[in-house]
Amino acid sequence: MTKTGFFSKQSESASGIISRQKGRITDSIIGAVWFFTAVFAVFTVLFILVFLLRDGLPVFSEIRPADFLFGEVWNPGGAEPSYGILPLITGTLLVTIGAMVIATPLGIGSAIFISELAGPRLKAFVKPAFEMLAGIPSVVYGFFGLIVLTNQLRIRLDVPSGESWLAGSILLGIMALPTIISVSEDAISAVPREFREGSLALGATRWQTISQVLVPSALSGITAALILGMGRAIGETMAVMMVTGNAAVIPEPIYNVLSPVRTLTGTLGIEMGEVATGSTHYHALFGLAVALLVITLIINLSAMAVIQRLKGEKRSSFRISERYRDYIIKGLYGVVFLLLFLATDIITALAVLLLAAAAIYIRRHLSPGVLQKGAFGLIWASAGMVLLSLAVILYDIIIHGYPALTPEFLTSSPSGLGREGGIFPAIIGTLYLVAGSILFALPIGMGAAIYLREYTRENTATRIIRTGVDLLGGTPSIVFGLFGFAFLVLYLNLGVSMLAGQITLGLMILPIIIRTTEESLKNVPDSMREGSLALGATRWQTVRNVVLPPALPGIITGAILSIGRAAGETAPILFTAVVFSRRFLPDSVFEPVTALPYHLFILSTNVPGSETNQYGTALVLLILVASIYLAAVILRSHFQKKAAW
Amino acid sequence: MEEEKAVIRTENLNLYYGEKHALIDIEISIHPNKVTALIGPSGCGKSTLIRCFNRMNDLVNDCRIEGKVIFNEEDIYDVDLDPVLLRKRIGMVFQRPNPFPKSIYENVAYGPRVHGIRDRAVLDEIVEKSLKLAALWDEVSDRLHDSAMGLSGGQQQRLCIARSLAVEPDVILMDEPCSALDPIATAKIEKLIGELKERYTVIIVTHSMQQAARVSDYTGFMYIGKLIEFGKTPQIFESPAEELTNNYITGRFG
Repeated sequence: MTKTGFFSKQSESASGIISRQKGRITDSIIGAVWFFTAVFAVFTVLFILVFLLRDGLPVFSEIRPADFLFGEVWNPGGAEPSYGILPLITGTLLVTIGAMVIATPLGIGSAIFISELAGPRLKAFVKPAFEMLAGIPSVVYGFFGLIVLTNQLRIRLDVPSGESWLAGSILLGIMALPTIISVSEDAISAVPREFREGSLALGATRWQTISQVLVPSALSGITAALILGMGRAIGETMAVMMVTGNAAVIPEPIYNVLSPVRTLTGTLGIEMGEVATGSTHYHALFGLAVALLVITLIINLSAMAVIQRLKGEKRSSFRISERYRDYIIKGLYGVVFLLLFLATDIITALAVLLLAAAAIYIRRHLSPGVLQKGAFGLIWASAGMVLLSLAVILYDIIIHGYPALTPEFLTSSPSGLGREGGIFPAIIGTLYLVAGSILFALPIGMGAAIYLREYTRENTATRIIRTGVDLLGGTPSIVFGLFGFAFLVLYLNLGVSMLAGQITLGLMILPIIIRTTEESLKNVPDSMREGSLALGATRWQTVRNVVLPPALPGIITGAILSIGRAAGETAPILFTAVVFSRRFLPDSVFEPVTALPYHLFILSTNVPGSETNQYGTALVLLILVASIYLAAVILRSHFQKKAAW
Repeated sequence: MEEEKAVIRTENLNLYYGEKHALIDIEISIHPNKVTALIGPSGCGKSTLIRCFNRMNDLVNDCRIEGKVIFNEEDIYDVDLDPVLLRKRIGMVFQRPNPFPKSIYENVAYGPRVHGIRDRAVLDEIVEKSLKLAALWDEVSDRLHDSAMGLSGGQQQRLCIARSLAVEPDVILMDEPCSALDPIATAKIEKLIGELKERYTVIIVTHSMQQAARVSDYTGFMYIGKLIEFGKTPQIFESPAEELTNNYITGRFG
């Protein structure tokens, strides 16, 4: 990272022997433009915060902060409205914890599977399959959860309704998996080969090497992966809103996973569309969004801190001496047991204790070979389960959606509230929204990345900009939606319009574009820049002619990925751009549109009897987004093979 | 020849990386409690050869091996042989020091631990003994629980030697162990190698002919996958039988 920002003031010739003022002036103007694009991201974060606070703080003039934060009843519509967000925060935390309990073992297992167990061929198939999970739009997850998962839970567990904490956690767990898998796999693969060889050369088995050298060495990366996955789960709106039942209650007893819950994001998604602007309820929702933003900020900042430590830890010594670590671990076990004892009863606690003792006994007395077989079996099983969930989701949607796919369905307008007719306006609306958002975000994102990489050195300003970009990337999509509503729709008076949706989506994908562009610029070796500069080219000439051409494939890949992301998103456009059952195409950017994810959301939650068209819409959306991702993956691997410096 | 006394002996060993024929008809006998050096220009196959002795080449994807490597009368490429147990008896020190990101103590104790030793007192004893053998004890005894990453390059390499000694191998393979070290650290490692041969058989791959001449009892010269000449070190350096060997050691190529 010390090499970042190859150009600097010092590298400019300051002698002034040859005056080529014209080139120099153009150069500094272009540099200034890039600087402003880079600052844009930071300002966006500030703006979001300011606008949320502007509409959120007034709530405290009517409700005491303590009543708001710790009030146990959320009932804005009641005769005596009550705005306590404690059940919502509890709901968010419980669903997230549940998701992590499911996703952590599966994710780490799958990451170990790809990086250590799968052969090259299997890996070439499994890795894109895992990435495919990230390509399924959240509304499609929600749709699957609503139609299949909650139903299955209801039947198999014999409960009145499957819409529950458990359903939300399963779905969010699956959705958090791709993040956890890819980041932990990167971390494990990045452990130097020497560690692997060093351990194997001492006669350690592969499992001993994995469990005692590779995973501990990659622990910071894995921790970051888990935190990022958690951020993904907390910020998710659509899927969670569609399967958790949305009753604003604290489960009774607290570990009752079959109880319905309501999350912060779900509340925003449900109530924001119906609230009167300027009412107490309206301000309460913005206050709630601030709470959500603060939670995600904390999570993202801690992920960043962990990653930062990861970069700097090569030479640092251990914080906790290993002797004390033994005691600390033993103490932790004690605490866990005590908690278990308090939360449940003595029988369960003893049973768990017995199991743990048995596990330790088995670990000690089985030969390393047998232990390895067991561990590898579990790792295979976790990778298998992840693949299975993907297969089940895809299978269900393809099988049921395929019959709906007729030419008329794709080319006609909906009728009968979407029960009949097609989805043509929704397809076109989605394409408009996506095109507008990329037109907005690509120049700004590329400019920001070029500034960060080519026009400056690492300093406080770039650190602030990078932090801003990272925070923007971790902001829940529903918060973008709220910001778009407050700033674009109301403050700038754009109204619910395509333009407002395009800008909101554009802001959301900005961090992806900045990050991928920066990454591709980083891959261009400094020697090429030096070669160009040594010939007397200006910065901008060097960037344009030498740096950008080889980086272009990577930049395009990033753009395609963000198009896929924008096409599948619902929450940001929910209050900014879309109206349901629009039969016609918009005439200008100031008119509202409809879009595929939104159409699917409304059909599946509000229009009973439209199952065929629901599945049809889900399949079209899935195909659209999946083919966009596929294009990006193919492009990436194509150019990875070609790029040999 | 003293074939029956050989610790490791190869028969008609051939190795391919995909299409590339990397080792050609290698026949070599390694004598116990001696230091054997393998020299030759870059890419001649000397590292590949010693990585055959502890089956580290198993980790390379399209690597194929024909012929035999006999270790104490056992073919190490026999399907029944467990490479894990083999590597316990044939240790290895790598080109670049590769301590694990653990404490000094845990690095040395890692091997014994994975082989089932849990008694703290026994581990303490092994760690101390191994560090003393690797001539590192005096420098680190007061900070055993500090990170090994904080040691100098030379100390790290001696720690890696201590780490391989801790599993009590019969043979230690060293793959250019000094190539990443400065002259002072190199001198310490070389002195250590001389002491180690009392207890262990050492095979060292080296880029430096002077180093081979200084530390080894036997020397093998390799060139493009073939073992050109093998014999007692003074003989190789003073009166090589082969023209190629002579050209190499007199610095005419390589």
